[in-house]
Amino acid sequence: MSPATRVTLARAGVFVASLALVVSACSSSSSPSPAASSAAAPTTAGSVAPPSTAPSESPSASGAAGSLSGQSVTVIGTWGGSEQDAFLAMVKPWEDQTGATVKYTGTRDLNTVLTTGVASGVLPDLAGLPGPGQMQEWAGSLTDLSTVLDMNTYQSETAAPLVQLGQVNGKTVGVFIKTAVKGLIWYNPKTVGDLSSSAPTTWDALQQLITTDKSKAAAPWCLGVESGAASGWPGTDWIEDIVLRQSGPDVYNSWWQGKTKWTDPAIKQAWQTFGQVVATSYGGPTAVNATNFANAGDPLFKNPPGCLFLHQASFITGLGAFKTAKAGTDYNFFPFPDMNPQYSGAIEGAGDLFGMFHNTPAAASLMRYLVTAKAQDIWVKAGGALSANKNATDYPDDISKRSAQLLQSAKTFVFDASDLMPTTMNDAFWKGIVQYVKSPDQLDSILASLDKAQADAYSQ
Amino acid sequence: MTTPSERMAERAAGRPDARAAEERSGVRKVQGRRRSKLLSRLPLHLLIVFLMVVWLIPTIGLLVNSFRPPEEVTQSGWWTAFFKPSQFTLDNYAHVLAQQNITSGFINSLFIAIPSTVIPILVAAFAAYAFAWMSFPGRNLLFIFVVGLLVVPLQSTFIPLLQLFGPRGIGITGSFLVVWMAHTGYGLPFAIFLLRNFMGELPREVFESAAIDGASPVTAFLRLALPMTVPAIAALAIFQFLFTWNDLLVAIVYLGAQNPDNAPLTIAVSNLVSSLGGGWQYLAAAAFVTMAVPLVVFLALQRYFVRGIVGGSVKG
Repeated sequence: MSPATRVTLARAGVFVASLALVVSACSSSSSPSPAASSAAAPTTAGSVAPPSTAPSESPSASGAAGSLSGQSVTVIGTWGGSEQDAFLAMVKPWEDQTGATVKYTGTRDLNTVLTTGVASGVLPDLAGLPGPGQMQEWAGSLTDLSTVLDMNTYQSETAAPLVQLGQVNGKTVGVFIKTAVKGLIWYNPKTVGDLSSSAPTTWDALQQLITTDKSKAAAPWCLGVESGAASGWPGTDWIEDIVLRQSGPDVYNSWWQGKTKWTDPAIKQAWQTFGQVVATSYGGPTAVNATNFANAGDPLFKNPPGCLFLHQASFITGLGAFKTAKAGTDYNFFPFPDMNPQYSGAIEGAGDLFGMFHNTPAAASLMRYLVTAKAQDIWVKAGGALSANKNATDYPDDISKRSAQLLQSAKTFVFDASDLMPTTMNDAFWKGIVQYVKSPDQLDSILASLDKAQADAYSQ
Repeated sequence: MTTPSERMAERAAGRPDARAAEERSGVRKVQGRRRSKLLSRLPLHLLIVFLMVVWLIPTIGLLVNSFRPPEEVTQSGWWTAFFKPSQFTLDNYAHVLAQQNITSGFINSLFIAIPSTVIPILVAAFAAYAFAWMSFPGRNLLFIFVVGLLVVPLQSTFIPLLQLFGPRGIGITGSFLVVWMAHTGYGLPFAIFLLRNFMGELPREVFESAAIDGASPVTAFLRLALPMTVPAIAALAIFQFLFTWNDLLVAIVYLGAQNPDNAPLTIAVSNLVSSLGGGWQYLAAAAFVTMAVPLVVFLALQRYFVRGIVGGSVKG
């Protein structure tokens, strides 16, 4: 045939040759993988190493050091960036001691990966769990941690409400590896003065303070609810904190359980209180919806100051302008003030649950190590995280230490309501916040549509 | 042999026969026409340039922001960087490139994307030839079935496929092989559909004369159908490569839970950001690192769009 055809033929030959290369690469590259997946294969619960009786202060893995060398534990979680670095730093001493390795993947699609994984059996050894709701659904696939952890030590070191949240029908399947206190009011001492001894303890006292300090900043409140697809969640924290203080933990619990309607006067009252905050926030409603929650507090540090207060969880110290500001001198906090004296001392928190899918000796050893104060100290030292372990005290500053104490000593502790709601309800809640910020006059129709979402979400 | 092949070339280039005949008729006449054609097409060209600029603006904004420090990005728009004294920095790129999993992710991405492009195209080319030029019972029914697969959302296949590939089945999840197989499966319906339609358009005479000359179907496929389909294959290669290179979901589902060592670039990039959104400033820089390879692939394959069919086929 003609030269042109031959050239094209040669080209086709290249295609075939590259395929041949690829096939040979396939066989060489995939050969280590079956080994990896067989290491991750589930082992029967019967063959499990007995729970360690070693004191939890030292990683109990040390006893089995030789046998774990060369093994690996697959871990999946939502942490990325600096959180991922902190987690890897936390497991480093365990790796050094045992000779085993941690293979960590971070993904925001955790829910998809674990939902398909639970259904198909393709699971990591250890995994962060998206929330207590999903943990309950997967309880059948999760290892009973009482066969892994020294339960007496674990329970004595951990705040009781957190232990309870990790249980399904009395079986401990999840542990809080990282926690946060929600509903802290942050301020800049240079603007409003040092409030550490004179913090307003009631909502009315806080309003009084706002009136007195009116001239010190452009607006009383800083607020930003933008957070990508999850936009609105900082507002849900506001509503939750208000419901908890106005109507108490019973209403709060029946509300996230879907038994109290959104149009209920107690819930509506909370939205209206939040409406007052939105109306007096820095930049107005448009700015509230357009500002990312991480940068919402930046006007606190502006000159002249943009706002007096910011309502946000303890993890804000690792974000935005807080990251470069100095704890104590540039910022400080006081707990959310009481609204109804009957319900004082209630605290809302959230956290990352950790569960175990494959009870391999290496995974069990890592799990035992992760809940110890020694491991948790590394985690909390990196900043932005609180430990569920009472003995972890290596906080980078007094602010974090104080918020951790708040968590440990709370009279009433409730978990973030929106995280406990079914996913569809939670999504509707977020969207409702964004809509309410934009048009506060439509509160009734927003609450009515949330009622409808509630009827759908809980019937499943 | 000359006339049909030329006519085919003209049809491929999208030119009507009449205009091609005019072009042959006289050089002077053509030159005059060309000048006036250029003038009359000026508004069109301006419109195209305008549309291209509009299309490029977000990418340019991303590029500018990838060189700016995060404090400035949050405080002012990227266009202000040109008008007032502002800082530019390479820190974002330095951070991204210093990440160990970015380098390994880059190599893994190549390991995933190249076979995931080559395998489905090769299989689809065989299938497309059979669907277009070989007659066998149930051909149309089978083709309709393949086209029907186009509407199956890939998310709905995760659980059954994972059961098959996972420890409850043959136990190959976490390896590159499983991602290649997944991408091949997801890519095949569209690849077969596109290549069959393109091959079906090829002139029947070519295959008939080949058959008269004693060519077997294999020869006809390798020496006629495949070379003449190069433009469609190039287009398909670009689509499929982009899809597999940019894929996060398939990789995280089939690899993520079991073997992070094989994780592609997309997983590494998404891990630059913390769960609360910290570290977003690195994403713009990471986007350009990710973009580099698809750009090279596109530029390398682009010329086949223009030259493919005119240069190949049955000339001579």
